[in-house]
Amino acid sequence: MPASSSKTPFFQLRKPVSRRQSLISALGIWVVFFGVWVFASSTGMVNELLVPAPQQVFATTFELFFGRGFASDVLISISRVIGAFAMAAAVAVPLGVLMGSFPAIEAIFSPFVSAWRYLPAPSFIPILLMWFGTGEAPKLALLFIGVIFFLITLIMDHTKNVREELVETALTLGAGRGTVVARVIFPAVLPDITVALRQMLAMAWTYLVIAEIVASTTGIGAMMMRARRFLNTDEILSGIIVIGVLGLGFDLLFAALHRWAFPYLRKARS
Amino acid sequence: MTVDAALEIRQITKAFDLGAGRSVTAVKDINFAVERNSICVLLGPSGCGKSTILRMMAGLETPTSGEIVIGGRTVDGPGRDRGMVFQAYTSFDWLSVRRNVEFGMKINGVAPAERHERAEHFINLVGLGKFADAYPSQLSGGMRQRVAIARTLANDPEVLLMDEPFGALDAETRWLMQELMIDVAEKTNTTMVIVTHDLEEAIFLADKIVFLSSHPGRVKEEIVPAFKNGKRIGDKERAVKLDGYAELESKLMHLMREEGRGIE
Repeated sequence: MPASSSKTPFFQLRKPVSRRQSLISALGIWVVFFGVWVFASSTGMVNELLVPAPQQVFATTFELFFGRGFASDVLISISRVIGAFAMAAAVAVPLGVLMGSFPAIEAIFSPFVSAWRYLPAPSFIPILLMWFGTGEAPKLALLFIGVIFFLITLIMDHTKNVREELVETALTLGAGRGTVVARVIFPAVLPDITVALRQMLAMAWTYLVIAEIVASTTGIGAMMMRARRFLNTDEILSGIIVIGVLGLGFDLLFAALHRWAFPYLRKARS
Repeated sequence: MTVDAALEIRQITKAFDLGAGRSVTAVKDINFAVERNSICVLLGPSGCGKSTILRMMAGLETPTSGEIVIGGRTVDGPGRDRGMVFQAYTSFDWLSVRRNVEFGMKINGVAPAERHERAEHFINLVGLGKFADAYPSQLSGGMRQRVAIARTLANDPEVLLMDEPFGALDAETRWLMQELMIDVAEKTNTTMVIVTHDLEEAIFLADKIVFLSSHPGRVKEEIVPAFKNGKRIGDKERAVKLDGYAELESKLMHLMREEGRGIE
């Protein structure tokens, strides 16, 4: 149906939508999602044992946190992600920046890192369990292996993208190699490093759940595996929702950190 | 050459390796001197290797043979005595204008008090006094080039090297920047080597034009704009009206065209 000439069409090619419209659209899709869910589970279209109603899942989530100490599992999971991720970042950031700055360092580590990147981290679980037993170490190791090689590669690539003119400018101002890396290349690539960390943190959550499902008695993943044994699908779905909310929370936190740390990237041209 | 040379280019040849045993000679047997406190413009058609010569002066490229001498020493790598301003914007986006201008002094260990004073001086010299605490992303293209110029000058180089510094700017801004450079040269007595392919820019700025032919680049002619009578003219509108300006422009056009034909 052709749009009348006086009325602007709803679907406009590459025209940004208003804040109000984007809010309504975002809420709308969720309302539809939960609407279908409620409808399907309350009319018996799906087996309620396998797909409990959303209101029951939320009630269970509440019950888990306030009646059964689920918060301590969540805290353990968060500390695993943050601990392993911090260790990976502590290695990957300096190494990636050095590899992106000095081709000689890239030549040493790049073939090694690329090879590891193609090995699926979960394939290490059996050997990690044999090496480290069942404590925290194998979980941290899995997360570490899962993210570090991607992180190194991403940071190296971003570092290589720092414009040559910035480096040459610093050299002609009298900077030595170390000064160029520390005072020009590193600050220039830092916003991109923050973005890379933000993206890889999502991957760390993925490996956390794998680690906890396979080999843990604590944490969100372990709770979900226990719930499976007793056919408590509502608890499994609670776990999924909590992981989703945590992931979203960390993502927003990183976005806020980015805005706060790099005010000069805001284009406020007067 | 008995002049007081700040910089001497002696028998420079530069060949680039293309791989597979092939190479291309960018510039060949280049000889000229840049007089102290003068503005020397390297002019020529594209492909004449003028930027390559400038980059060798900066120490960012190494000559295949020959040498470049500054203050009695042979150039061997980049150094603070040869500051460079590029066509692309090179402001450090994470630093304010003031801290950009202080950057060179800071890494070279200039004491804070002197650093702040010199930064202030050069920020005002390029007309950015009101924007000292702004970030580069808040500035226009012309203003960012002013930051780069102030940052280089504040570092007190013996020679200021500029590689088509105003090539990315619109016509009106470029003209203002050219007048600014005359003003800066008069006030600071800085020796400058400027690469351009813009005839007007060359005539207006140059105390001496080194015209290069192409493929490979050689010095075709050294031209001193006689109509200036040894004095710089700070006002571009006035410069174009002077006797002899038009003749020099048509002479350079002729040279450009002669060289351009060789390429096709």
